[in-house]
Amino acid sequence: MTPTPQSVQPVPEPGPGPSAPEDARRGVVITARAAKVMRDQLVKRGTPDAAIRFGIRGGGCTGYSYVFQFEDRPPRAHDRVFEKNGVRVCVDPKSMRLLEGTVIDFETGIRGHGFRFENPNVREHCGCGESVSF
Amino acid sequence: MSTEHDPGAAPGLFQIEEPDAGAPKRRAAGLGIGIDLGTTHSLVAIAPHGAPPRVLEDEAGRALLPSVVAYVTDPPRVGAEALALQVEHPDRVLSSVKRFMGRAPSDIDEPIPYALGERPGDDGRVVRFDVGGRLVTPAEVSARILEVLVARAETALGAKPDGAVITVPAYFDEAQRKATKDAARIAGIEVYRLLAEPTAAALAYGLDRSEQGVFVVFDLGGGTFDVSVLRLDKGVFQVLATAGDTHLGGDDFDRVLAEHLLRAAKVETPSKHVRAEALAAARAVKHALTTQPVAAATLPRAGLEGFEVTREAFEAMIRPVLGRLRAPARRALADAGVEKDEIDGVVLVGGATRVPAVKRLAERLFGRPPLDDIDPDQVVAQGAAIQADILSGNPREGVTLLDVVPLSLGVETMGGLVETIVPRNAPIPIRARQVFTNYSEEQTGMTIHVVQGEREMAADCRSLARFELSGIPRLPPSMARVEVSFQVDADGLLTVTARELMTGVSQTVEVKPTYGLSDDEVERLVLDSLDHADEDFEARDRAEARVELDRVCTAVRRALAADGDDAALLPPDERRAVAAALEEAAAALGDPARPAGELRRLRERLEAESEPFARRRMERALAERMAGRRVAEVERAVGDAKALDERRGGHHPTMTPPAPATE
Repeated sequence: MTPTPQSVQPVPEPGPGPSAPEDARRGVVITARAAKVMRDQLVKRGTPDAAIRFGIRGGGCTGYSYVFQFEDRPPRAHDRVFEKNGVRVCVDPKSMRLLEGTVIDFETGIRGHGFRFENPNVREHCGCGESVSF
Repeated sequence: MSTEHDPGAAPGLFQIEEPDAGAPKRRAAGLGIGIDLGTTHSLVAIAPHGAPPRVLEDEAGRALLPSVVAYVTDPPRVGAEALALQVEHPDRVLSSVKRFMGRAPSDIDEPIPYALGERPGDDGRVVRFDVGGRLVTPAEVSARILEVLVARAETALGAKPDGAVITVPAYFDEAQRKATKDAARIAGIEVYRLLAEPTAAALAYGLDRSEQGVFVVFDLGGGTFDVSVLRLDKGVFQVLATAGDTHLGGDDFDRVLAEHLLRAAKVETPSKHVRAEALAAARAVKHALTTQPVAAATLPRAGLEGFEVTREAFEAMIRPVLGRLRAPARRALADAGVEKDEIDGVVLVGGATRVPAVKRLAERLFGRPPLDDIDPDQVVAQGAAIQADILSGNPREGVTLLDVVPLSLGVETMGGLVETIVPRNAPIPIRARQVFTNYSEEQTGMTIHVVQGEREMAADCRSLARFELSGIPRLPPSMARVEVSFQVDADGLLTVTARELMTGVSQTVEVKPTYGLSDDEVERLVLDSLDHADEDFEARDRAEARVELDRVCTAVRRALAADGDDAALLPPDERRAVAAALEEAAAALGDPARPAGELRRLRERLEAESEPFARRRMERALAERMAGRRVAEVERAVGDAKALDERRGGHHPTMTPPAPATE
C-alpha cells in the first residue's frame, strides 16, 4: 500500500536548444484527421466550445509524460493556442519548449486507434509508450 | 493520472482524458494504531478517523501489557501470564529485552540475567537468548509482544490494522531502530513510522498546534529515566537533547520501601517469596500514597500487620533516589542550550511521575507546573495513535497527508540556480541524492539552501532551510565531493543531509515542506513556473554561462599569478592577449545584464587565448613529475586518472560557498 522508497536520478533539464528564429517555429501542428476526432469528441462530451490541453509533465518511467485532456477553462495568458478547423489546443510555455514542432495525428488501423504525437524533441520512448525523455 | 487505454488502443497512441481535479492526491484512509513498546510494559492505542485517542484493554480490563515473554510453553506466553511464571522459571521468562534491542553482546555494559547462545555466522553481532535450548533474539521477543497488541487492536477495530506507529526512545541509534522495525516485520505489521517517545507525548498534549516552543518531557518509568528537550518549529519537533539514567525508576521507590517494610518486620534474610511479597506491598503503598496521606501495609508471610506509612516518611525514604533525577535534568537543559525561563511546557510521562514528590521536583527543576492531565502511563501510546491515524490518511485538524511530493525539492547551486533533487509528484516515502563539488580551492564550506518550487532560480522558490557544512578539505576546483541526500518520509517530513565524502563530516536538517502550504499556493507556484518558463530558461542559461566564465577567469588568474612572468611558458604577446581577454571577461561579469551568448563567447575566447599557456604549463609539470619514472608507472598513473574520471562521471553541480560573515 505504501510506496517503497526508491532512488531518483536527477533528470537533466533540456538546454536552450538550437535557437531558430521565432517565425520559423511551427509550434504544434494538428492534422485535419486529428482535428476532426477532437471536434467529434468535444461534441459528444457536450462541450463543443471547450479546448484541448496538451503538455508535458514530470513523472512516468523515463522522466516525462504527456498531458492530453479536455480543457474547460479559457486559455491562460501565457498559453500558446493552436487552432485547426475550429478546434483549439492550448500549450503552456514550459511544455512548449519540449513540444516545439510536434505533429498531433490520429491513427486507426489493426493496431487500434488513438492520437499519435510526432515529437522531434524526443530522444527515446519507454516501453509503456507513455513517457518520453528528451 | 496515467492514460487508461481503451482495450483496443495500441501503445504509443493517446486518448483525450478528462481533466483531473488538479489537487494533489490524498492517501486513502486506513486504520492505524499506536504502540508504546516499553521496557517494563507496552500499550496499544487507537484514534480512528480523528477521534480522541483511546488505549485498548485486554478482556480483564488491563491496559498495560507487561513486556515479558515466557518460553515455558509453546507458543510462548506474553504479559501478565508470563510474569506469573517468572519466579518458577527465571531463566525462561524474558523481561526488559528492550535494553538489548539492536545491540551486540559486546555493546552491553551490564550483567545480562539470561543465558546467551550463538549461531554460526553471528560473529558476535547479535544477542541471542538461550531459553531452554531455543535461541531467540530481542527482536523476536518484542515481536511476540507486538502480536498480542496488534490482536487486541484488531478486536477493537473489527479489522486488521493497516499499519502502526511504534515509539522508541529518542536516543535509539540506527541499529536499535532497525531491530524495532524487524520486530514489527516478524509480527506482520507494517510500520508507518518510528516515533520518538517524547515527541509522542508532546503530540498527545497537542503541543504541535502551537507555532513554536521549547518543551521538556520528563519520563520516569519503572526502570528507566529519560529527560528530553524538544524544540517545535513550523510543525516539526526536533529533539535537542536527551539525558537520563537507564537504571532509575519507580522500581527503585518500591525497593527502598520494601526494605523499610522488611526491617519493620525484622526480617534479615528474606526468602524469594517474602521479598516478592514485600515488593508487592510496597507498590500498593506507593500507589495509595499518591492520593492519600497515610497507607497501611500487610505482609502475612513476614508477620507484618497493618503497618502504617505516611507520605512524609515515604518521601524521606526516597529522597536519595529523587536526588539522582536532578543531574540528568540539568544536563539535558545544558546540552540543549536552553534556559529554564525559555521552557514553554513540561510533560510528565511514566507511572512513577504520579508520585507527588516527583511532580514537585519536576516543577522546581523546570520552573513551571507540569502537564499531567493525561495518564502518564498512556500518554506516549496516545500520541502514537494520533500520529498513526494521520499517517493512515485521515485528515485531522488541518493536517493532510499526500501520496506525492506536491512541489519539487532541491538545493541552490552557484549562480542562484536550483538543482532539483526530488521532483514534483514523486511518490513518498522517497530518498534521493546528488553529489556536489567545490567551486574553488579556497572553498572549505558549503551553504546548503533547501528550496521548494518549480522555478529555475532559487530566489523564485520557497526557501525551506539553509545550513552550512564546514570542514571540507582544501581541494582543487571540482575535486571535492559533497553528497546531499533528501529523504521524505511517509508523513512528508524532509530530512536533508550533506556529507563530505572524504572526511565524512556531515550536517542534517529536518523540515516539513508542506507547512503553511495551501493547495492554492501549490497551484499558483506550479502555474508560475509555466508562465515564466521562457524567462526562467533564459535566467538559467545566463547564470550557467556566468558561473562557467567566472570559473575560467579564476583558473587563468591563478595560472598567471604562478607562472605569468615566465616567458618560456607565456611569451609577452600571448600574455597581452590573455590579459585583454581576461579584462573583457571581468567587465562582462560585473554587468548582470550581459546575455548568455556573449558570456559564452567571452569564455571561449579566454580559453582559446590561454590554451597554449595552459598546455605548456601542463607539459612542464608532467615532465617534472615523470622524470625518473618508468613508462609502466606512467601508464598506470594515466590509467588510474582516467578510471577516476569515469567513476566520477555525470555532472556535479557546484554549491555556493558560505556567505561572508558580514552578511
